[in-house]
Amino acid sequence: MKLRPQLNPLTQRQLARFRSLKRGYWSAVILLITIVLSIGAELLVNSRALIVSYEGNWFFPTYGKYLPGSTFDLGYEYETNFRELKVFFERQPSNSNWLIMPLVPYNAFEVDLPAGRYPPNAPSLSEKHYLGTDTTGRDVLARLVYGFRIAISFSLILLICNYTIGVALGCAMGFWGGAFDLFFQRVIEVWSNVPFLYVIMIIASVIIPNFWTLMIVMVIFGWMSMTWYMRTSTYKEKTRAYVLAARALGASNARVIFTHILPNSISIIVTFVPFAIAGGITSLTALDYLGFGLPPPTPSWGELLSQGTSRLESPWLVTSVVGAMVAILLMVTYVGEAVREAFDPKKFTYYE
Amino acid sequence: MHLRMNRIARALIALLGTLALIGCGTNDKGDPLAETPRDVAQEIVSYPVGGVLPNELTWETNNEDPIFASADAKPGGTFRDYVLAFPLTIRRVGPDSNGSFAGYTRAGFLSLVSLHPNTRNFIPTLATHWAFDDDGKTVYYRLHPNAKWSDGTPITADDYLYTLDFMRSKHIVAPWYNNHYATQIVNVVKYDDYTISIEGGSAKPKDEILYEYSMGPVPKHFHVLDQNWVRENNWKVEPNNGPYQISKIEKGKYIEFTRKKDWWGNDLKYYRYRFNPDRIRVRVIRDVNIALQHFFKGELDTFGGVLPEFWHDKFKGKDFDNGYIHKIWFYTDNPQPASGMWLNQSNSILSDRKVRYGLAHAMNIDKVIATVLRGDYRRQHTHHEGYGDYSNTSIRARAFDLTIANTLLDEAGWTERDDRGIRTKGQQTLSLRVTYGQSHHTPRLVILREEAKKAGIDLTLQLLDSSISFKQMLEKKHQIAWMGWSGGGLSPRYRQFYHSDNANKPQNNNLTNNAVPQMDTLIDQYRAATEKTDRVELAHQLEQMLHDTGAVIFTFKVPYTRDAYWRWMKLPEFRGTRVGGLFNPMGGQFWIDELERQSVLDNTAPQSAPVSILDTTYLSE
Repeated sequence: MKLRPQLNPLTQRQLARFRSLKRGYWSAVILLITIVLSIGAELLVNSRALIVSYEGNWFFPTYGKYLPGSTFDLGYEYETNFRELKVFFERQPSNSNWLIMPLVPYNAFEVDLPAGRYPPNAPSLSEKHYLGTDTTGRDVLARLVYGFRIAISFSLILLICNYTIGVALGCAMGFWGGAFDLFFQRVIEVWSNVPFLYVIMIIASVIIPNFWTLMIVMVIFGWMSMTWYMRTSTYKEKTRAYVLAARALGASNARVIFTHILPNSISIIVTFVPFAIAGGITSLTALDYLGFGLPPPTPSWGELLSQGTSRLESPWLVTSVVGAMVAILLMVTYVGEAVREAFDPKKFTYYE
Repeated sequence: MHLRMNRIARALIALLGTLALIGCGTNDKGDPLAETPRDVAQEIVSYPVGGVLPNELTWETNNEDPIFASADAKPGGTFRDYVLAFPLTIRRVGPDSNGSFAGYTRAGFLSLVSLHPNTRNFIPTLATHWAFDDDGKTVYYRLHPNAKWSDGTPITADDYLYTLDFMRSKHIVAPWYNNHYATQIVNVVKYDDYTISIEGGSAKPKDEILYEYSMGPVPKHFHVLDQNWVRENNWKVEPNNGPYQISKIEKGKYIEFTRKKDWWGNDLKYYRYRFNPDRIRVRVIRDVNIALQHFFKGELDTFGGVLPEFWHDKFKGKDFDNGYIHKIWFYTDNPQPASGMWLNQSNSILSDRKVRYGLAHAMNIDKVIATVLRGDYRRQHTHHEGYGDYSNTSIRARAFDLTIANTLLDEAGWTERDDRGIRTKGQQTLSLRVTYGQSHHTPRLVILREEAKKAGIDLTLQLLDSSISFKQMLEKKHQIAWMGWSGGGLSPRYRQFYHSDNANKPQNNNLTNNAVPQMDTLIDQYRAATEKTDRVELAHQLEQMLHDTGAVIFTFKVPYTRDAYWRWMKLPEFRGTRVGGLFNPMGGQFWIDELERQSVLDNTAPQSAPVSILDTTYLSE
C-alpha cells in the first residue's frame, strides 16, 4: 500500500512539467524558504538574545515575557538591552556568562542612534546594520524582514478571502445561470466601478486602518475579478459529457460542483494565484507609500520606499527596498509563468 | 453663537499658522478658513458721518525709531520664488483664498499702523497719527493724505467705511471676516475725508486695541458686491496700496509682481531702501525636491532650510564649496508657537496628575532634538515664549528622568507590568494614544515611544489627515494631542486654552479640558486688567499654575530662520530684523546684484571660501 495518495496522472505530469521549468521551480523553492524563514524571523532578526547563560541559569528570551534589566543585575526595570549585555559579558571574561545574539541583533522598532551621527546611517558591518538605518535610526534589514512577513501574510490571507468569495460566487453564477447570473453580473459591474483608492483614502483618514480593517476593505473591493473566470469556466464545464454523465447517475448539485467542476477548473485558479500574491504585496506597499496603509510605526516596505525617494542622498534606503521588491516580485512572476506553462491545457488535455 | 464661531475660526487660524510655520516660515496674521457660512451681521449699518471729534484727544505718532533697512540697497532686478501649487484664486477673501499664495497678495494691502519689527513699537503706515478714546475700545486715526490705490485713486475715509460693508457682506462668502468685522470691529466713524475712528467690541489695553483694530481699507470704487462677486473676482487684479502689484498671470505657471515706480510710500521713513527688486516672479514647482534642483541651477534665488534634512544633508555641492551659494542661520525673537503634547485631562488615565507628571518625565524630548532634529530645534518650556516681559522664563519643562517617572507611576498605582513590560493597573494597561496630523513628525514620535517604553508606558501613534486629526482634537476625542498653536499677538492668551468654560465641550481650543477654579479667577482678572504690570504679573502666575497642572508637555520651538541663497542676493549689514524674514519677497530688506548674477551664471565670477553665516543677535537664551 502506498503511503502517498495517488495523484491524478494528469496532475502528476503537470507537476513534473513544473519541476522541469528550472527558473520557476527554483523561484518557488526560494520563495517558500523565505516565507518559512520569515515566520521564524524572531530567531534571525531580533534585539532579544537567543540564549543567555547567566550565573548558571539559562534564559531563552526570544518568545514570551520581557526580561527586565534587573534579571541580569543591570539596575533597570525596562527590557534588557542584550547587545549591551553582550559587550558587558565580554568585558568580564572571568565570569562564565555568555549569550548568543541573532544574526541581525535589532528589531524593527528600536531606534539605534549613536552619538554624534544622525540618521539615516550608512550600512555598517561592524554595527551589524547590514543595510544601514532609516531616517529614525531603525535597522533597514529588520524592517524589510518584518515588513515582508506582514506583506506576504496580508497577501496570502487576502488571496484566500478573495478566492473563496470569487470562486464560490463565480461557480454559482455559471452553474445556475439565468436570473441569478444576470443579477450578479450587474452587481459586479457596478461594484467594480467604485474607485477603490478613494474609498481607502477616505477610510484611512477617518479611522486608523489596522491589518484587519485594511484586509476587510481590500476584500470588499477585490473579490470581483475571479468571478468572471470561474463563471465562464463553470459554464463550459457544466455542458461537458462527464458532467452530464454524473447528472444522469443522479449526482447532487454539490457533488457535481465539488467533485467534478471545481477540480477541472483548478488550473485557472492556480494560474492566477502567483499574480494575485504579487498584486497583494504591491497594493499594500502602494497604500503604505501613499500613507493610507498600516499605521506607523508598523514595519512596511511602502513607508521605507517613501523615505527612500525623498532621501535620495541616502541611497541605501531606496536601493534596499527596491532590491527586495524587485527580487520578490520577479520570483513570484517566474513561479506564475511556470505554473501557467505547466498547467497549460493545450499540452495535456485530451479532447474527444 | 458669534463667540463660538470665532473660536473655531481662531482655532483653525492657529492650526494653519502652525502648519505654515513648519512648512515655510511664518505668516504673521494667519487668516481664516472658517467653516460653514452662517448669517452673521447681514444688515448694513448706517454710519454717522461728519461727527465731532472729542477735544481732549492726544495724537500720537512714531518717527523716532531707527529704520530697519540699508542705505546701500540698490533697486532693480527680478526675484525668483516658487510655490508648490498654483493659487485657485487671487482674491483676498472668500472661498479658496487662503492658500499658500495668500501671503503674496495680502502683502500688497497695508493697514493703518504696523509694528516696528525690532522695537515692536507701532509705526505709522496708512495712518500718520492715532489717538485713544477714554472708553478703552475706540481709536482715532489720521489718514496719510498721499496714500493712493494702485490705479491712482486717493485712499479716503470712505474706503474704511466701505470695508465694513464689504467684510460684512454675505456675497464675499467669508464667514470668518463676516464675524470679525461684526463682533471685533463694531463701528467705523468718518469725521472728514482723512480722519476716522474705529470702535472695537470690548475694552482692552491701548496697545492691544491698536494692534487688533488696525484694519486695512477696501477700494470702494472697484468692487460691485452682488452674488457674482466671488466668481467675477477670481482673477481680477484688485487695486492695492503696497509697493508691488500683480502685472502678469500665466495660469498654471507663474504670477509676476511689478514694483510701482511712483509708489506713494517711496519716501516714507520706514519704507525707504526696502522693496528693492523691480519684479517678483512666483512660479509653480510642484515638489520641494525638484524646486531644490531649480535652485541649484540658479533658477531660484533662495531656498528655505528650516528642516534639518535640507540644511545639513541637501545644502551641499560645489556651488556651496566655491562660495557661490551662501548659507545663513538667523535667530529670531518673536512669539513662538506653542507646540506640545496636550493631555486630555478628562481621560481616565490622564486625569491623575501623577500620571501626567510621570509621562512628562518619560518623554525624552532632548533625545529627539539631539538626534532626528540634529540639535537644531530647542526645548520649549512654557506656552508663551517670546512675548517679552509676559513670558515666565523661570519655569523649566520637566526633564527626562526615568527614576522620577517610575516613582510617580508607582505611586499612581501602575505597579504591575505585562509581558511587553508595559505597566498595568487592575485590568487597565498604561497605553496612551497620540493623535497627530503630520507624517514627517513620525520619526520624532517613534523615538519618544521607544524611550517611554523604558518607563513602562506604551504610546500608540495615530497619524491622521491633518484636518481630520484637528477635528478629532477639537471634539476632545483624543488622549494626547500632538500639535502646535501658532504664536502671535502682543500678549499671551489664556482663556481660549485653559478656562473651564471651554472644558469638556467640543469645538474649542481647551484641548486639555483644563478646569481649575483658581486659574479661572486669574484668567478673568487677566482679561479685565488694563495695566501692563498687572497683566505681566498675572501672566507669570498663570503660566506657573499651568506648569503645575502638568496638562501640557511642551516640546520644540524653532526660534530661527535658515536659508541658502546665491551670492548675488545682498543683505544689509544687520542681515535681518528681530522677526526674521530675510528674503521675504514682499517686505524684505535684501537687494539683487544683477551683474553678479550674470557673472556667476556665466562662470566668470571668482570663487571664494564657503560662506555659512550664524547670526545670534536675537537669540534670546
